[in-house]
Amino acid sequence: MKRLALLAIALAGVYLSGSGYLTNLFVVTALFTLPALGLSLLMGYTGQISLGHAAFVGLGAYGTAVLVKATGLSPWLTIAAAVALTTLAAWAIGWLVFRLRGHHLAMATLAFGIILHVGTVEWKAITGGQDGLSGIPRLEFLGYSLGSDAAIFPLAWIVCIVAILLAQNLVRSPAGYAMRAVAENEAVAASLGIAPDRLKRRIMALSGCYAGLGGALYAHYLGYISPSPFDVGFSIKLLLMVALGGFAGIWSVLFGVFFVVITSEVLKPLGRYDVVFYGVLLVIVMIWCPRGLLDGLARLSHALAARLGLGWMAR
Amino acid sequence: MSDVLLCIRGVSVRFGGLQALDDVSFDVRQDEILALIGPNGAGKSTLLNVVSGALEPDAGEILLGGRRLNGMRAEEVNALGLARTFQGAEVLRGMSVRENVMTAGAARCGAGIGFGLVGVGRAATALDKLRRSADRCLEAVGLEALAETPASTLTAGQQRLLAIGRALGTDAQLLILDEPGAGLNATEKAQLARVITRLRDAGKTVVFVEHDLALVGRLAERIVVLDHGKVIAAGEPDAVRSDPKVIEAYLGATEIAPGAALEANDEGNPVLAIESLVVRYGGAAAVDGASLAVAAGEIVAIVGANGAGKTTLLNAIAGSVRPASGRVLYQGRDISGLASADRVCAGLSLAPEGRQLFGSLSVEDNLLIGRYGRRRGAGLRELLVAGHGEVQATRAAINMVYGLFPKLRERASQAAATLSGGEGQMLAIGRALMNRPSLLLLDEPSFGLAPQATREILEGLPRLTESGVAVLLVEQNARAALQVSSRAYVLANGRVVAQGRSRDLLHDPEIARAYLGWKGEQVPRPGLRAVR
Repeated sequence: MKRLALLAIALAGVYLSGSGYLTNLFVVTALFTLPALGLSLLMGYTGQISLGHAAFVGLGAYGTAVLVKATGLSPWLTIAAAVALTTLAAWAIGWLVFRLRGHHLAMATLAFGIILHVGTVEWKAITGGQDGLSGIPRLEFLGYSLGSDAAIFPLAWIVCIVAILLAQNLVRSPAGYAMRAVAENEAVAASLGIAPDRLKRRIMALSGCYAGLGGALYAHYLGYISPSPFDVGFSIKLLLMVALGGFAGIWSVLFGVFFVVITSEVLKPLGRYDVVFYGVLLVIVMIWCPRGLLDGLARLSHALAARLGLGWMAR
Repeated sequence: MSDVLLCIRGVSVRFGGLQALDDVSFDVRQDEILALIGPNGAGKSTLLNVVSGALEPDAGEILLGGRRLNGMRAEEVNALGLARTFQGAEVLRGMSVRENVMTAGAARCGAGIGFGLVGVGRAATALDKLRRSADRCLEAVGLEALAETPASTLTAGQQRLLAIGRALGTDAQLLILDEPGAGLNATEKAQLARVITRLRDAGKTVVFVEHDLALVGRLAERIVVLDHGKVIAAGEPDAVRSDPKVIEAYLGATEIAPGAALEANDEGNPVLAIESLVVRYGGAAAVDGASLAVAAGEIVAIVGANGAGKTTLLNAIAGSVRPASGRVLYQGRDISGLASADRVCAGLSLAPEGRQLFGSLSVEDNLLIGRYGRRRGAGLRELLVAGHGEVQATRAAINMVYGLFPKLRERASQAAATLSGGEGQMLAIGRALMNRPSLLLLDEPSFGLAPQATREILEGLPRLTESGVAVLLVEQNARAALQVSSRAYVLANGRVVAQGRSRDLLHDPEIARAYLGWKGEQVPRPGLRAVR
């Protein structure tokens, strides 16, 4: 509750400051948090790796964009349809790939991500190929257009906070215990009456739902989408966000997303070489900070303090 | 006659060349404590896996309260009221003790992902109920004071109890416990026995697999004995205990050709000397101050019941576990600081328990891998382009192995996975010999083998020692090991409790009794309840 209040205060501060730059940054953060949360539920809590999560974000974005342009329906309806589609797709992918474990699962999800990305590039009749789709209508609420950063800011964060609260409820519920049991030991979970495969598929579907929602909102927010934001690089970035937060931890996901969004800004002068930084960071976090960057830094500072003889600090 | 709760009828399971279970049939009655015992590799764990739904039998059927379990998945079997624990306790280390037990009720509390997301209403009440029922289960196993503790910090004994508490948390009628006493000290075992008795009194039926026969004698109301996948005895403890077939299964009945055993040769410099070695796993000492010596060209056996610390002792010599204290001297040199790979290069080869062959590689390739240590030790150049001398030496080593086990020559290009158990063991020994060791560590060569195959392998050992190789043999089949070795040490609870010439030990009746452990502590058994 305290964390929620702090977040609300920070958000209100940003909103009232009227800074276009900050508002934009925060909207992007909210939209990235959705898929990252989904990935954390799947990887952190249920122990199933996915290296193709960007594909679900892309599916949500392209789903609503194609639908809204083809049917002229209200964007709200097409978002709902796209999210439903992504959820279903994620469930089906789960049905297919959860016969695999470990490296094989990672490879299969990676391949799935690549296939979907290639699909968006090559299926020009529907997706517009590399040129992408433009002219996606902005969202409207009670006749008020949510086209600008400031206008979509409240919506993005309300959705994001609801998603955070739901995820937090879930991991604390009996189903959350079942997820953690499956993550640690499927044989034990099954011996306790938990059906591991069914649970994994459902969490995959939920995870896809979160990712699809993020993608769909993103499409209507920008008004233009192209394949490149949904490539494997983005999947890895999502992985990094979740890893920075220590995989399992709903609020620490938010930290991971902020961290990556802010470093992206700092790294802009590097152009496309920023990937190098993310790669190195991911390796470091995976090896030395399995419980997230903050935990790793805390332990490092304790170790340093102890070495320097600052006993009081290490305590 | 009580009602039958679990009925096992003609169950058979085959793994490749191994008949793990062979037409196994027995009943578990309502409200009883039944022990399932048998030597290593008898098929106990396989049977547990079949009953709990983790493994589909090739033949036969399993009925729980009249319902057929065949084809059901583990979670479905559990939903019908059967909960099992695992050999390694397998607590969920990322959770607290209470959360471990709460997890057990998660599947049947009626609040799935949908309710979980909403978080109020059903999920909240379900969570409350889970917490209360978890606390009751923890009380039943005496862990209520540790409810908030992270499960990873529990001692081995507490983890076993937690695993039982967690199984209770599924509301199962039938509890199947896989080696609940493994790794526990005497106090913890007494606690375990109290808990199991209390559960039975509370209306649960308990089946447990156990190697500690003293614990079995104390707890079990009926015993089923498995050996080589077959039920060899079943019934009241006293009858089972005195059954010659059971004693034979535990001590082994393999007769080795007379004259095979060499004279004891404990003079001169030992190849290997161990001084007061202590190895700890967590808090418990698996090897507790053992000392022994092996001289060149000698076969020395280490015998003892399961869990006595035999394999741990061997692993400490091979370098794969680190001793807490004590010294390991190889050819007079302390090798405590040497990594296990370097010990192999120094001439100390291990043929590990369970053989550990490279199944997809051919027999000859497996042998060549065994040569790696020597070749690498001769320098990097030998690895890249082997010199003439090394090629010859490798060839000679392979021929030596083929000479020892001619069957391997016939199978040279066959994949190791397709070998029979006996041939696999020959290959494991051959691979260890490729380095031309001066000491061969041999861990349970008779594991899972028929008497004929055991004999064939053990009778090959004296020929091996003629070339000066010393053999340290760890065997569960004590009878065979004592016949093939010149000297032996008897291990119990990590300590050497007897040693001497194998010939003398073989005929010492006290050894057999101590080894079997039937006597145990003289604690009154929980009385059989009156038949209703």
